[in-house]
Amino acid sequence: MAYQRRSFLKLMGVGGAFTLLPMGLARAATTPNPEDRAVYISASAGDNGDYYVSAFNASGKILFEQPLPGRGHDIGLRPNHVDVAAVERRPGLYGLILDRHTGDVRAKLHCPEDRRFYGHAIYSNDGRYLYITENDFDHARGVVSLWDAEDGYRRVAEFDSFGTGPHELHLMPDGDHLVIANGGLHTHPDQDGRTPLNISSMQPNLSIIDRRTGKLAHQAALKHDWHKLSIRHLDVASNGAIAAGFQYQGDLTDQVPLVGIWQPGSDIRPIEAPDTVQYRMRQYCGSVRFDASGQVFGISCPRGGLVTFWDAQTNDFLTHIAAPDGCGLAATDRAGEFVGTSGLGNGWRMDAIRRKRVELPDDSLKSQHWDNHLRRIIA
Amino acid sequence: MFCKPSWRTLLLSTTTVLAVGVISPDARADIPDENYQPVLAHLLGTVMPPKLDDFHAATENLTSEFKNFCSDPDNGGLEDTQAAFHAAMDIWQEIQPWRMGPLVANGRDQHIEYWPDKHGTAARQFRKLMFDKPAAYTDPEKLSGASAALQGFPALEEVLFADDHGDQMIAADEDGVFLCQYGTAIATNLGTLSGELQAEWPEFATAMENAGPDSMDYPTAKFAATDLYRALHEGLLIISSQKLARPLGDGAEDASAGRAESPIAGRSLRNIEHNLIGLFAIYDGTWGDVGEEGKGLAALIDNSLLDRSFKLNWQTVGDTVAELPSSVAEVLEQPDGYAVLTDLKGQIDFLTTLVENDVGGNTQLGGGFNALDGD
Repeated sequence: MAYQRRSFLKLMGVGGAFTLLPMGLARAATTPNPEDRAVYISASAGDNGDYYVSAFNASGKILFEQPLPGRGHDIGLRPNHVDVAAVERRPGLYGLILDRHTGDVRAKLHCPEDRRFYGHAIYSNDGRYLYITENDFDHARGVVSLWDAEDGYRRVAEFDSFGTGPHELHLMPDGDHLVIANGGLHTHPDQDGRTPLNISSMQPNLSIIDRRTGKLAHQAALKHDWHKLSIRHLDVASNGAIAAGFQYQGDLTDQVPLVGIWQPGSDIRPIEAPDTVQYRMRQYCGSVRFDASGQVFGISCPRGGLVTFWDAQTNDFLTHIAAPDGCGLAATDRAGEFVGTSGLGNGWRMDAIRRKRVELPDDSLKSQHWDNHLRRIIA
Repeated sequence: MFCKPSWRTLLLSTTTVLAVGVISPDARADIPDENYQPVLAHLLGTVMPPKLDDFHAATENLTSEFKNFCSDPDNGGLEDTQAAFHAAMDIWQEIQPWRMGPLVANGRDQHIEYWPDKHGTAARQFRKLMFDKPAAYTDPEKLSGASAALQGFPALEEVLFADDHGDQMIAADEDGVFLCQYGTAIATNLGTLSGELQAEWPEFATAMENAGPDSMDYPTAKFAATDLYRALHEGLLIISSQKLARPLGDGAEDASAGRAESPIAGRSLRNIEHNLIGLFAIYDGTWGDVGEEGKGLAALIDNSLLDRSFKLNWQTVGDTVAELPSSVAEVLEQPDGYAVLTDLKGQIDFLTTLVENDVGGNTQLGGGFNALDGD
């Protein structure tokens, strides 16, 4: 209500302000809109090595901050349930199940001694199982662990990820398969758990496994010349198309694609932005997200301080919007529209079709450094 | 004038400066965005344009020298053309690290100089070119659409300095005539590329200087200035990781001058000397007789001791390179050559650390939470 009142006063108080406001916000201020009820949730950090899972509303007002024992990464959302899963980023030891409305801790997950969490988790559509990417570091092998949410989040099984350094994973539209980005990088906790130990021989891939049996269904890799492109983040459209963002481990001046589209059963199709944008992506993609229509996807590039947008139908580059230290991306309910967050504390609503960026109005958002990924919840 | 202590001594002195004189960047108030604007205006609007003019003039002169030489080839003409090549390459090497905007648009930097050539593409394509001698490669316009490996400075270096190409051009035999026509086309194409760069720069500079919340490219002056900081930082990384690490290889037995930049013209270290001049301009605001001291990124550093220390360190490294022979090959021929180059790489890496800690930290341009430590 406070947000609506403030917006209303803004509209009424300054002559001409109404016409200058973006249409989306103008609508939000005058008529009820589903967007008003959206909640965004993300890992975050304070200024003193303090880490949180934080949630904010559509205007950027922080709703809760739940302290974490270490730095988080992504948030897994349990369908039709209050649970969300925050798994420590690599080399992670803990996972917390939180109440999405309050941030209260509902369960704790402990990583086995010979495994490390890699920051990403996803639930099955029925909400029963939680899948987490992990590193079997003594064998340089990626695994996906299964945790039974209906049995106190008991760890019940683990599957091979069919690669090294598994990172983001998603359910495929059929609900029966998981797609995993195996980044290819081997790390070991004895050597800080983050330093790559195999750059010269790394072999990233995208793998799809049966979520019940762990059987490999599809797998694809980039050509060998591009084996230093760590495939780290992805999102899946409702038609099964997978958009992936890469992080290059080679030289700064190498000309390599940083984005790929994969239709399982075919090769990964690398796509590039125009030179001036491709260069500004700085060999590094941070987060991948399809919009609500599935026709546009955004890929954030925090090292370059921009978000790139791509046409999911033609796989062509659409546009880019500067977003200093921007990384988290979540689709709103409008075609081509995203909310983005930054490590500098900013939050923006970004329209890929009209190439517009509007800062979220509530300053409370700026008290946090927003981490790699952002998720949207309909409250 | 500064005295010249060893770079390791300087490391200690700078560490002392940091210990006694510098407040942690985290403890500082944010630098107001308007403070970045004059730095952008100076570097992009005042310093760079005359250097792009110089580069264009140098490539035009190179074309003239090539045409003169080929109209009546002799040793004097070859030497004049080679000198014109070096003059154009000198200014290019100063501009090269400013990797932003028109410099990287349409792959322009790679068309001007395709390097590093990890797969030996240029040599392979050049051999085929000399076998086929296609007329299209003597036409500058058609050449501009050809492989980048065959249209910039490395290709011209091959024409002017490799094997007996100079003798062939003077003899005006079949190969020599083709080399003359092809070399002239490359020089002409370089003139076109440098002209495009010169023409496109002002619009780019204006967009950077007019950074603001309505810009979808540069929402703040600080964000625009980050591109300058990155050019400085990445320029040093490229010198270390490519221009020196590649020829150094995995050890003395693996070292190879052939993997250095501009190996045929024998100017791999001369290139680094000029890189450092262009990079220092980003920090200091002066570039030869252009610009004004203290108006680069240094203007954002409110600590004269740190500024003096940084300049002293930079000067030490610059002097080290200037005192070395022009090429990696000449240094590696010396008994302690490998150690000398390894030491130079250590000095460049040390400068990189200073840029990250001192310049990045105190200008608040060093990168944010996600940019510095993402996953």
